[in-house]
Amino acid sequence: MTAVTNTPLRRDARLIQWLLPAGGVTVGILLLAGPLLATLARSLLVWTDGQASLSLANFSALVNSSHFSEAVINTLICGVGATIASCVLGFYLAWIVARTNVPGRGWLEILNLIPFFLSPYVGAVSWIYLAAPHSGLLQHFFQSQFGLSLEFLNIYSLGGVIFVLALFYTPYIYLFLLAPLRQMDGALEDAARVHGAGFGYTLRHITVPLVMPAMLSGALIVFVTSAGLFDVPLALAAPKGIHTIPTEIFSYVQYPADFGAASAIGVMVVIVTVVLTLFHHRYIGRRRYETVSGKGYRPRLINLRPWALAGVLILEIVYLGGAVLLPTVALILVALSSIWTGQFNPQFATLQNFHYVSFEYSLTRGAIGNSLILAIVGATLSVGIALFQAYYLNRGRRRGRGFIDAVLSLPLGIPSIILGLGFLILGIRTPLYSTLTIILIAYIARFFPFAMRNISAMFLAINPELEQSARASGASWWQTMRFVLLPLLRPALISAWLMLFVIFVRELGATILLYAQGTETISVALVLLSERNFGYVAALALIQLCLLLAAFVLLRVARTSIVEI
Amino acid sequence: MDRPASSFVKVTSLRKSFGSYVAIDDVSLDVAKASTLALLGPSGCGKTTMLRCIAGLEMPDAGSIEIAGRVVFDSSRGINLMPEERGLGIVFQSYAVWPHMTVAENVAFPLKVRGIAKAEQRKRAQRILEVVGLGAWHDRSATALSGGQQQRVALARALIHEPSLVLFDEALSNLDAQLREQMRMELKILQDRLGFTAIYVTHDQQEAFGLAENLVLMNRGRVEATGHPREIFRLPPSAFAARFLGLNQIEAKVLRTTEHARVSGMPPVRYAEVELENGQTLWGLIGQSRAPEIGEAVLMCMRREHIAVVPVTTEQAHMHEAIPTRQDHAVTITATSFLGLDEEYALDFGGVELRVVQRASALKAGDSVTARFTTDECIILPRDTVDVMTAASNVT
Repeated sequence: MTAVTNTPLRRDARLIQWLLPAGGVTVGILLLAGPLLATLARSLLVWTDGQASLSLANFSALVNSSHFSEAVINTLICGVGATIASCVLGFYLAWIVARTNVPGRGWLEILNLIPFFLSPYVGAVSWIYLAAPHSGLLQHFFQSQFGLSLEFLNIYSLGGVIFVLALFYTPYIYLFLLAPLRQMDGALEDAARVHGAGFGYTLRHITVPLVMPAMLSGALIVFVTSAGLFDVPLALAAPKGIHTIPTEIFSYVQYPADFGAASAIGVMVVIVTVVLTLFHHRYIGRRRYETVSGKGYRPRLINLRPWALAGVLILEIVYLGGAVLLPTVALILVALSSIWTGQFNPQFATLQNFHYVSFEYSLTRGAIGNSLILAIVGATLSVGIALFQAYYLNRGRRRGRGFIDAVLSLPLGIPSIILGLGFLILGIRTPLYSTLTIILIAYIARFFPFAMRNISAMFLAINPELEQSARASGASWWQTMRFVLLPLLRPALISAWLMLFVIFVRELGATILLYAQGTETISVALVLLSERNFGYVAALALIQLCLLLAAFVLLRVARTSIVEI
Repeated sequence: MDRPASSFVKVTSLRKSFGSYVAIDDVSLDVAKASTLALLGPSGCGKTTMLRCIAGLEMPDAGSIEIAGRVVFDSSRGINLMPEERGLGIVFQSYAVWPHMTVAENVAFPLKVRGIAKAEQRKRAQRILEVVGLGAWHDRSATALSGGQQQRVALARALIHEPSLVLFDEALSNLDAQLREQMRMELKILQDRLGFTAIYVTHDQQEAFGLAENLVLMNRGRVEATGHPREIFRLPPSAFAARFLGLNQIEAKVLRTTEHARVSGMPPVRYAEVELENGQTLWGLIGQSRAPEIGEAVLMCMRREHIAVVPVTTEQAHMHEAIPTRQDHAVTITATSFLGLDEEYALDFGGVELRVVQRASALKAGDSVTARFTTDECIILPRDTVDVMTAASNVT
């Protein structure tokens, strides 16, 4: 072996084989470290009379501000509320699909996932159309049809934020629980029944505790991402002066900007995220129960009695109606109206809004183009980087793998708006500022771990001996990659690409801080237009919805899995 | 078939299908109080479905089930008690020990759901854990246990509330051979001590023979045979039973039949001489109530352990008797497989393959030897599936 390694050709091959994966890891670490260090540095700087000095003043000012503590409390309320609601709803939906004989459960299984692909911002906007006080479609409908007053429904509230967040984060829990519920050894529950426990007691004391580790993992992700989500509070809380941490960061960056305060918030959030992630690693991640046994059997499907079936169907209708159907109908009605007065009037029906936002209005036309460029280029680059990272983590040096994996996964928990802030601080005095490129870099930095996790999970299923036999048969490293590994990884690459496409098409938190005139995206255009013209917003939102649903359909057609999120 | 009025578990005309697949086809069973029944059969024969119907985990389509004088299921009266209302114990093949509970919590579960006081729960859990030999494992996490220990936890859990009927679903087949042997003995002792009625489902004839006082052999959702293990072992009542128990089967045709008393004063037994498919003739015991016709196609069944392979002898053994007690035939060894104490031989018997197990010897493939058949251990059974009732009553 040593004799051969010394030939120049061999050495080059060895170098590439080492360089590409290590390069992917390095890029990932730089993408993360750059904005975080910039944020940290900025948070510690205080300007007095044009003179910068190191100080903790930004932090102490925040800690002493009642305004900030109010935002923290509001964020906690939203995060905890959304997490609890998603867990309850996600468990029931997963249980219904995995465990009952509800008719059409193959369809329900897929339909329950749709909200996972939709834009929470658009969801929030649609729910404004549906349930804003005095002008909501629902209030109007119930008032005119049944004489019921739904005026107590006010979407502009923390309750409204929790409601919309729960609609969109329920599929996370659902995805986490579907497989454990399906694969659990049916004898675990049957033993409880035979030994005297009723159906409900068994569900509470056996089924739920057995899936609890999976549920907690999902709950942590839902908490971190929903609390850090900028979109929904922007639409539903900010207009009424209810502050949350993401909207607080946003307002500190607006004129007159206080980057020091914004950075200090960012640093605190990142610290909390890191602590929660470590906690998860330490306590929850390892506590998976061995509930699947080779000698067990699949749980039998529960035969729903008519009343139970009715309950199950009502739950499904309420969920899918609330998350998908009603918002879409509301968007269509608004988009088809030349003026929106809170109710649909066929007299004012028109397709003009669609025509205007797609062809005539330069802001929206440019936004659609920008979003597509960002989504396609961003997804492709992210998957490329993630492929090498996953290779490093699964086939590279063993030492430090766990640590690198943890570091590269960190952006999963960091709110987009905080990473966006970091790139803003880094890029504000460079030519990159106000270009699509800086948005693209921020997207990749925030979301490449999704692709990395997905591809890494696929690597686990590929026996290294498959590649070793290719090498033993005379294939070079590159040929082995090309003819053996890449074809085997293809499903994961496709699903990661489509998932990132979806995420980038709807991304708002990072973009909102980095866009400039000419680099607006669809989501940014929606925000900019939200107070100007309902019809344009709805039409543009529907165009975005079509892009997202197209990716969802492709994902189903490709029959790949999105379980590793 | 007359049914004992006093049976503790009484299953009558039970049917259960899954879609078009009939899992249980009109099965009736009786189990006497404090006795042990083994449901034996190949996978897919309906034995597990039967057990799950008794437990209430599956709802039969028709029939009735009575446990300890209480009707727990009756399709005609619309009775179907939930599993928890039947007051049973069960041990699963996968043990189903709950990983989120300690050993004591697992074991005390049946008491907890019955609202028994904490102190009492703890006391009884400790007592039953000592009975199954896990006294020191009380507060350990259930996941820290080995397979054999989990099996004991599952057993303790099934017994702690002193159910009158305990169900075992392939409960021993996950254990290694040595442990299985040991558990089998311990189960027998436990049952004598606690006096519960037990139903074992198993595909392993050793397990069934070792545990059960009564045996029900199932095939394709029907009862193929019922009886005492020793009787079924001695005289498999049907071709399926013989095949399932691993007997050699050779196609044959009846040449003549006769009655003969081996020991004077005993009732005579019926024998037949048959022509095997390879042209050889052999005497055997008729293993069914109906005498076969001359010329009827039958199966000659011989247990592997009941054929002896000996070096070629010139002695024409016992041909002077009316019915020979032993019959010798020239065979060739085609393969040997060393099993330790024993050795298995594949024999070529004029074109028919025979399997023989006997003490290991120096015989090797290619040797021409003599196969010695004991006439009373050559059983003649009808080829076609016999009527279930005939087969059953023939045994008992």
